[in-house]
Formats: sequence, C-alpha cells, structure tokens
Amino acid sequence: MRVYGLIDGNSFYCSCQRAFEPRLKHKPVVVLSNNDGCAIARTREAKALGVKMGDAWHIARKRPESRPVVWYSSNYALYADMSRRMYQVLAERLPAVEPYSIDEMFLDLSDLPGDLHERCRQIRQDVANHAKIPTCIGWGPTKTIAKLANGLAKDHAELDGLCDLTDPVVRQDWYCRTSIDEVWGIGRQTKHKLLGAGIETIADFVALDAKTVRQMLTVVGGRVQAELRGQSCLPLSDIAATRKSIASTRTFGRLLLKWEEIREAIAHYANRAAEKLREDGLEAAHLSVLMQTNPHNGDPWYAKHAAVTIEPTSDARDLIRHATALGCAIWLPGYRYFKAGVILSDLRPAGSQGQMFAFRDPVQSATVMAALDAVNARFGSGTLRPGSTGLKRTWSPRQSLLSARYTTRLEEIVKARSW
Amino acid sequence: MNYQGDRTTGFASPVGDNIEGTIDLMSTALDLRQPSRYPVRVEGDALLGRAIRHGDILVVDSAVAPRAGVVVVASVGDELRVCELTQRAGEWWLRSSSPRASPVQVDDDTDVAIWAVATGLVRTDV
Repeated sequence: MRVYGLIDGNSFYCSCQRAFEPRLKHKPVVVLSNNDGCAIARTREAKALGVKMGDAWHIARKRPESRPVVWYSSNYALYADMSRRMYQVLAERLPAVEPYSIDEMFLDLSDLPGDLHERCRQIRQDVANHAKIPTCIGWGPTKTIAKLANGLAKDHAELDGLCDLTDPVVRQDWYCRTSIDEVWGIGRQTKHKLLGAGIETIADFVALDAKTVRQMLTVVGGRVQAELRGQSCLPLSDIAATRKSIASTRTFGRLLLKWEEIREAIAHYANRAAEKLREDGLEAAHLSVLMQTNPHNGDPWYAKHAAVTIEPTSDARDLIRHATALGCAIWLPGYRYFKAGVILSDLRPAGSQGQMFAFRDPVQSATVMAALDAVNARFGSGTLRPGSTGLKRTWSPRQSLLSARYTTRLEEIVKARSW
Repeated sequence: MNYQGDRTTGFASPVGDNIEGTIDLMSTALDLRQPSRYPVRVEGDALLGRAIRHGDILVVDSAVAPRAGVVVVASVGDELRVCELTQRAGEWWLRSSSPRASPVQVDDDTDVAIWAVATGLVRTDV
C-alpha cells in the first residue's frame, strides 16, 4: 500500500539554535527575519508569552512579557546544514525523501516491513539524536493527508509527535473534528468561499460532490478533495529540479540615498547570484535589477524594475557590470532606498552555447571564477571578491543577534570545557 | 598528473591491480559530512590524562552508542562539558578528571545528557 509521510522540525530555526546551546532548552527562543525585522520562528515557550508570527522585533521586545525571550538573527548557514543533516538521516533509512521546505520533508513509507508506527517513532528518535532536531511525523495514503496528520501530531500533545491517518475510520473521525482551513492548499479565500457555502469541517468538504467542488474551486480544489478522499494525485518528487531563476534581494541595514552605496550593494547581490549560478553549473542570459523605497515609513513611493538580455555568462565581473549599469539607469536622486535586488533568469547549463563574438574568453573566465570559488570555499564565503562589492558595507542587513555558524566555520564551532 | 605508480612508459609497472589511492581522512575518521558528526573545540587541560589538550578539535558522533570509558561531550545544565563516561549499576555517570569532584549521573530530570561520543581528534598546533 502506498503511504506518504511528512516530517517537520518543531520551531525549526529555534531548534537549530537549541542544538548547540543547552541553556536554551526550556527558554522562550525567537528567531528574527532578515535584517532583524520580525519573528519568524518561535518555541512553544515564546508562543505562550504572546510572541506572534511576524511580530516586529523592535516593538515586541519592549513588552514586559518578552523579557525572558532569547532573540536570534537568522543564521541561514547553520539552518541549511541542520536541514541537510535531517535529510541525510531520513535518506539513510527510507527509499525516498523529498525535501519540501527547509524544515519539512515528504517520506515514502510504502511497503515497509514491520509496524509503521514503531518505525516512525524510531525515525523521529534518530533525527532527534543524530541531527538534534525534534520533529513530528504524520502519514497517510496521500501527501495532503500526510500533511494534515503532521499538523495534528503537532497540535495534539497526546499523540506524542506521531499521527497515523491510514485508517479511513480514524481519518473520518478527525475530519469531523477538524476545520477545513487546516488542509494544505486551502487558502484564506477558499476557506471563506467554503464557509459561505456552510462547509466548516474537512468531513463537510469531503462529502461534497466532486463536480460541485471543481465548479467552486477549479481543478486545484478538486485535487485537494480527491487527496483527502485517499486518492493520491501528488507523487513524491526528487530534490528540486534545476532552478528557473536566481534572486539575490535584500533589505538594506539602513536607508540608502547615494548611488555609490546602492551601487556597492547591487554589485554584491550580483556577485552572490553569480556564485549561486556557478554552484549549479549554470549561466544566465537574462538579468534584472530592482530598487524601491520603504512602503511603510511614509516616504514617497518609488519602485523600479529593469531587465536586459545578456550574453550567457556566470562570470561575476560581467554580471556586476550589467547589474550596475541597469541600476544606474533606474536610480533617481532624492529617494531613500530601502531594498534592492538582482535576479538572473533564462538559465542554461554552462558552456551550452558557443558565442561567436564572445565579450570574454570563456576558458579564461572559467579559470578565474574557479580560482575565486576555490579560495572562498577554503577560507570562507566573501574572502576574495570583486572590489566593487565594497569593503565596509555599511548597508549590510542588521544581524545584531547572530549566533555562531557551529557546523560550517571552523573558527565558530561549539566549545566545551573539559572536566 | 594521474600517475599512481601504474602507467609507466618504459618498463611495465608490476603493481597491476593493486592501486589503492591515498588515505582519505575526510571520508573516514574525520568525516564531518555524516549527519551525526560535529566538531567541538576543547577548552581547558583537565583531560590531559586522556591526551586531550586545550584548543583541540574533537570530532564527536551522536549516533555512536555510549560505552564505559569513552570520552563524551555532555550537556550539564547550561553548559557543554568534555569528560569521561562510566557505568555503575546500569546507570551512566560523568566522571571528572579531578578526584575531588564527584561524578554526575546522566539523567533527563537533572538536565544531564550525553550530547555525542568522541570519535576522533584534530590538533592543529602540535
């Protein structure tokens, strides 16, 4: 029998921090978004103190209830490595694992020998021991049911982190007690549409005539219903196929007025995007640049986007040249800029198309970029970089509460006192 | 530069099929790519008796089952410690190198837990 599972790291970013700091074990922990803007991960203890998802840090931290909260800037280098560990523990134990997001993975649990509940309990324990991430696992005959089961395992402590929805009778029981908005793929609008038609629980929705559902919610809604009925429509995918585009977009650490500063930031973003391109062995034939003011601080609104088709390349120098030229064209004086970005698209495998009048010798370019990447792989990202990306980078996003990169930088590994 | 002792131009090399490649520490003793391996920096010289010095990098593995006598990294309250593990009457205890400090029992209720077992050591200042 086909069985899909979904495993999900509890308050994943916070759990990554806790893995290396025993003092955080029972403390309320919150991880902030880029630029230390708002709360994007909260432990149970932090939720209990009233910290909401998306709460602005500069306001939330001043509330007296927030006193015991330990705040962190997001440490994506650490989270990526911990996600990799979680994936690897799973991949060593199961025939197929699909990393759906940084903290959620779909599992192929079909036809495994022995008791599935016991198997999942063991997997959950191994992920907790080896990758140091506490998780919940839900499973059932379709991905949508597995995702629902995972949510139930998270919300109902008595389930001990595991929820089995393979049995239609058990499933029906939960369907009767669970609101339709707990279902994967049912957004706010769909929910309101359904509520308007008197459909509140999953059981109500599943009982609807399939044709009615398709008329009301298109094929997408029809698929959700079929999946909830136990007919699998969404197979397990592999690791995401090659990217369609690469975006390097950030909010500045402060508002920027001068072109020279924005130029530096755009060069930096182009350089980062070029690194990602080369990591995947790709070249880009299309580049766009965006720039905007802050929509929330009362400043005059300005947002501009410009794009250009380029000779396919992954050379940082070419991409920086194109990006800064485009950026210069859309920059207007007098505005306080809040955010900018570089987006590369029309991606293709490196060297797939010979250039008749190449701007740069492709062999020499590849050699230079390989040397650049080798230095940065060995001594850390950004060690060697084009001068146009700036030295001081006073526009860098705020990361005032950044923890160590315990598993990716030798200078920052966890310390332990010998006793 | 692919010469490994085999492809000679004049006399045929007698090594035959016995080319084995260089020892790769990174895929064996020091493989930090394994999901349960973590590097830990040792602070203090308390474990000199086990030849573990201040500044050493311990490679620890959270998938290795604890055994009596191994060196472990353990969380004790708020801190991580490197120490020896012993077993007494079926219970795990952390033993200090100092004879004055009494052992601490590994126990969830008292917030003492084994974090990982040491499996290798790297010393960069020899």
